[in-house]
Amino acid sequence: MNADNQSTAPNNRVALENDGVRLDIVEKVTGRAKYTADQYPPNMLWAAYIRSPRGLGKIENCDVDAAKAVQGVLEVELTKREGRYHGDRLGWICAESRQALDDAMATLQLDFEHDRPRARLDAERSKAEAHKPPDNAGAADAVLKNADVVHDTTYSTQVQTHCCLEPHGAVVHFQGDKAIAWGSTQGTFSMRDEIAEALGLKPDQVEFHCEYIGGGFGSKFGAGAEGTLAARMSKKYGKPVRVMCNRKEEQLDTGNRPGSVQQMKIGASKEGKLLGGRVWTWGSVGPAAAGATGGGGGGGGVRNPGRYRFGTVGKSHEDVNLNAGYPRAMRAPGHPPGQFAVEMMMDALADKLGMDAVQFRLLNDDNANRRNMLTEGAKRFGWDEKRKAAGTQKGAKKRGVGVGVGDWGNGKGNATITINLYRNGTVEVLSGSQDIGQGFRTLLADITHTHLGLPREKVVVKVGSSSLPPGPGSGGSVTSRTVAPKVFNCCDLAKAAILKVVGTEWNVEPGTLKYDAGKITVAEKTIDWDAACKLMAQEPLTVTTSEDGTYWKDPTGSEAVQFVEVEVDIETGIVRVIDVLAMQEVGLPINRNTIENQICGAVIQGMSYALFEDRILDRKTGTMVNANMDMYKIAGPMDIPRITPVIWRSREDAGVNSLGEPPIVPTTGAIACAVANAIGVQVRDLPMTPDRVLKALAEKDNSGAPGQRTR
Amino acid sequence: MDDSSLDPGVSRRRFLQTTGTVAATTALVGGNQARAQDKPVEAAGPEARRFLATGQTVTLNINGKPMQVSLTPNTTLLEALREKLDLTGAKQVCDRGACGACTVLVDGRSVNSCMMLALDAIGSKVTTVEGLAGETQLHAVQQAFVDHDACQCGFCIPGFVVRSKALLDEKPDPNPDEIRQGLCGNICRCAAYVRIFDAVESASKLDPKGGAK
Repeated sequence: MNADNQSTAPNNRVALENDGVRLDIVEKVTGRAKYTADQYPPNMLWAAYIRSPRGLGKIENCDVDAAKAVQGVLEVELTKREGRYHGDRLGWICAESRQALDDAMATLQLDFEHDRPRARLDAERSKAEAHKPPDNAGAADAVLKNADVVHDTTYSTQVQTHCCLEPHGAVVHFQGDKAIAWGSTQGTFSMRDEIAEALGLKPDQVEFHCEYIGGGFGSKFGAGAEGTLAARMSKKYGKPVRVMCNRKEEQLDTGNRPGSVQQMKIGASKEGKLLGGRVWTWGSVGPAAAGATGGGGGGGGVRNPGRYRFGTVGKSHEDVNLNAGYPRAMRAPGHPPGQFAVEMMMDALADKLGMDAVQFRLLNDDNANRRNMLTEGAKRFGWDEKRKAAGTQKGAKKRGVGVGVGDWGNGKGNATITINLYRNGTVEVLSGSQDIGQGFRTLLADITHTHLGLPREKVVVKVGSSSLPPGPGSGGSVTSRTVAPKVFNCCDLAKAAILKVVGTEWNVEPGTLKYDAGKITVAEKTIDWDAACKLMAQEPLTVTTSEDGTYWKDPTGSEAVQFVEVEVDIETGIVRVIDVLAMQEVGLPINRNTIENQICGAVIQGMSYALFEDRILDRKTGTMVNANMDMYKIAGPMDIPRITPVIWRSREDAGVNSLGEPPIVPTTGAIACAVANAIGVQVRDLPMTPDRVLKALAEKDNSGAPGQRTR
Repeated sequence: MDDSSLDPGVSRRRFLQTTGTVAATTALVGGNQARAQDKPVEAAGPEARRFLATGQTVTLNINGKPMQVSLTPNTTLLEALREKLDLTGAKQVCDRGACGACTVLVDGRSVNSCMMLALDAIGSKVTTVEGLAGETQLHAVQQAFVDHDACQCGFCIPGFVVRSKALLDEKPDPNPDEIRQGLCGNICRCAAYVRIFDAVESASKLDPKGGAK
C-alpha cells in the first residue's frame, strides 16, 4: 500500500528516480538570482505610501510643505486624513533617492488624533446566540439531545502574517507605448495585467518579469497597492519607479491569516461514531468588507468542520471587522485554524469515550486512503507505546503525541507549454508561470528529461516572464498539477517533430521510426538525439500545446496525515516539538528533493503558527506592537524538530497532485493534541506560548482533575 | 561633537537630521581612528570627520577589489552594496539585525550589513556571497547547499551561505547542536532548515580544516 520506494508509473517514465537538486539552486547560492527587490535600474525614482500610525483616527497636523521642500522630493500627496488601521494608506511620496524619501517621511511629523479602535476579535464578536441559526439548526440540536456524549468548548487562533522575506513591491518603467516591469508575485500574468491597466496600456505592451520570487504564501497575486503606485509614478515622471515595502509595512498591510474563535458543540454515540452538533465560528477581517486591500484577499472564513464524518452539523459564521490590516489568502486559507479546533475536538470526544485517538479517527473518516495512512503511520511512529508513556516521564519535561489529518482538492486548469529544440540538442521548455520556491523549473526539467529519456543537462527551462507562454498563478496549489500533463503532452509533440525530421532525412515514414531514450531507430539504422537535432533545416524547432492529451490522470485527494511528538516543560511552560512523521499523498511524484523540502517547510510553518507567531495589537491605539521580525517570533534554527517526510502513493495511475498547501493542514492540530497528551489538559488558544501552557496547567490543578504533575 | 570638524556648509543640526543618530556618527569616527593605527586607511585621520551630509566618494575593499562608492554618512553597508555596487546577493529583509539575510563577512567575521554603516567598513575587507565562489568552482559551503537542495525560494540563502562559511571558520567541526546555534541569527520563511543543517554538516566533513579550500 505504501509505496515510497516504488519506481515507475505506467504510461510514463517519471517517478521517484528524480532526485536532482532544484534547477536554479546555483543562482540562489551564489547571489546571482535577481529578484524584483534586486532591480535598481539607472535614474530610478523611489516611492512609498504615507501610512496611518494608529488603528483608528485622523491627522491633526501633517507638514506636507516641509516634506515637499526636502531636496530630491518630487511629490507629496495626502489623499485622505482618516486612517482605519495601522498601516492604512493615506497618501504617498515620490522622490529621487531613498535618502530623500526617508527624509521626507520623517519631515511630515504626522500628528495623529486616535479614537478607540476595534482591536480584539474576542471583544468585538457577537454572541453565538446572535448568529442567524443555520437551516438545519433544529436537526443539529436534536442530534445533540440524542447523543451519548457531547463536548462543548471554544478554541481560538491568532492572526499570522505571511512575512515573506522578499517584500511586496514592483519596479515599473513606463516608456510611452510600452513598459518593462518587475514584480514580486505568485501570478506573472495577473500582476502584468494589473500593471498594464494602471499604466493605461494593453497587457502585451508590458514586458513583465518575475524570474525569482522571495516567498508569497498566498499574499502576492495582483499588482497590489505597491505595483499600482509604481505604475502611476512611472507614467507621470517617465522614469523607472521602485515601490518595495519595508518590513514594517510588510507586517501591517500585505495580508495575514485571520484570527478565529471557534465554538463547537459536538455529540457522538457511545460506540464512537460522530453524530453532529453545532459549530459557531468568527473570523477577524479588516475594517471593511474582505478584499478591500487589493492583491486578492480572503475573508475570515474557517474550515470547521472538516475532514471527518461529522454528521449533521449546523454551522454559522461571522466575519468580525477590526481596525487592523486586511487578511489575504495564506497557505491553505481557513484550514490550519479550522483543523486545529477539529483535531482538538476529536481528541476531547475520544477521551470522553475512553477510546484511542487514532481508533476514534479511523471510525469517523470516510477516506479509505487516509485510513490506511493512519494505520500505517501509527505503526511506523510507535503510536501505541508513545501514547501509553505520555506524561509519565520523571522531572518537569513531559512527552506527548498527537495526530492530525488534511487533504486538498485537485481540479483541472489552463496552461500553455512551448518546447524549442535546437541543433545542438538542447531542449528548451518555456512557461510564463512563476517559480515561487516550490521548484517549478525543476518540475518542467524533470518531466521533460525523463519523458524524452535525455540527460537533464540537455534541458533548459525558462519561466517567470510575460513574454513566455501563459500559465496559472500559484494559488490553490494548482501550478504543478495543471502544468504537468501539458509538459508530458508537449514532450510527445517534440518527439514527433524530431521523428519527422529524421524520417525526411532517411526517406521513411516517421511512424515507422522507433524512439527510445534519445535513440531513433528503423531496421538497422540508428541515430542519437544530438545527431538527429543537427538534421534540422532551421532552428529552433518549436512545438506548443495547451492540451493535456492523454496525460490528465484523476488525482488523489492529496491526503495528509501527521504524527507529532512534543516535550512540554511543566515548570516553564515551554513546548518543544521533537519529532514529526509527515505522510503526504502526492499522486505522481516528480522530484524527491522539492517534494520533501516543501513538506518539511509546511510542517515547520505549521509549528511556527502553533507555538510562536502572533500579530499583537495595542488594544487602546490599534498599533501593531510587533511589526518587525525581532518581536514577531517565527520558528528559527533552534526550534526545528526531526521531520520524516513520507511520499505516499496509493495509486500508480494518479496524476501530479497539489503539494503546496495540504501538508500545512494537519500540523497545528497534531501539535496541539500532543501538548494536551503530554500535560493532561488542552491549551485551547493559539499560539501555545508558555504563559498559556502554565495557565492551562493551573486550571487543571484547580479543577481537581486527576493531575499528572510530578516534581 | 565638534561642529568645526564638519564641512562648513553643513550645520550640526542638519548633519544629525540626515545621519540619524549621534551614536552612529561618533562610532564612525572612533572606529576609523582606531584602525588607522595599524594600517593605512584612505579616509582615516582628521579627514574622516569631514563626510559631507550630501554624500562623498570613498573606497571600500569589496571581494578583494577596491571599489569607489559615493555615500552619505548614514548609508548602511547593505545599502551601499545593493544600491551603489549592484551586489544584491545580501538581502534587505528585516533591516534591524533579526533575520541574517544581509550577512556579509567583514575582515572574516560575519556581520549583519544592515546594522553597519558603510563608512565603518573603510579599511576592512568585505566579502559578500558574490565573492565566495572561485571563477570556475563554487565554495565548498555553496557546493554543499547545492548538493543538499538546501533552498526553496532562495531569498535567505545568500545570508545562510555566508553565515555558514563564517561558522565553519569559527568551528571547523560543529556538532548538530552547534550548527543550529551557529545559524540561529538567520531565518528561512520557507523553512528549508532540514536541508540547510544537512548542507552545513556535510560541508564541515568535506573540508576538515574549515573555511575556504
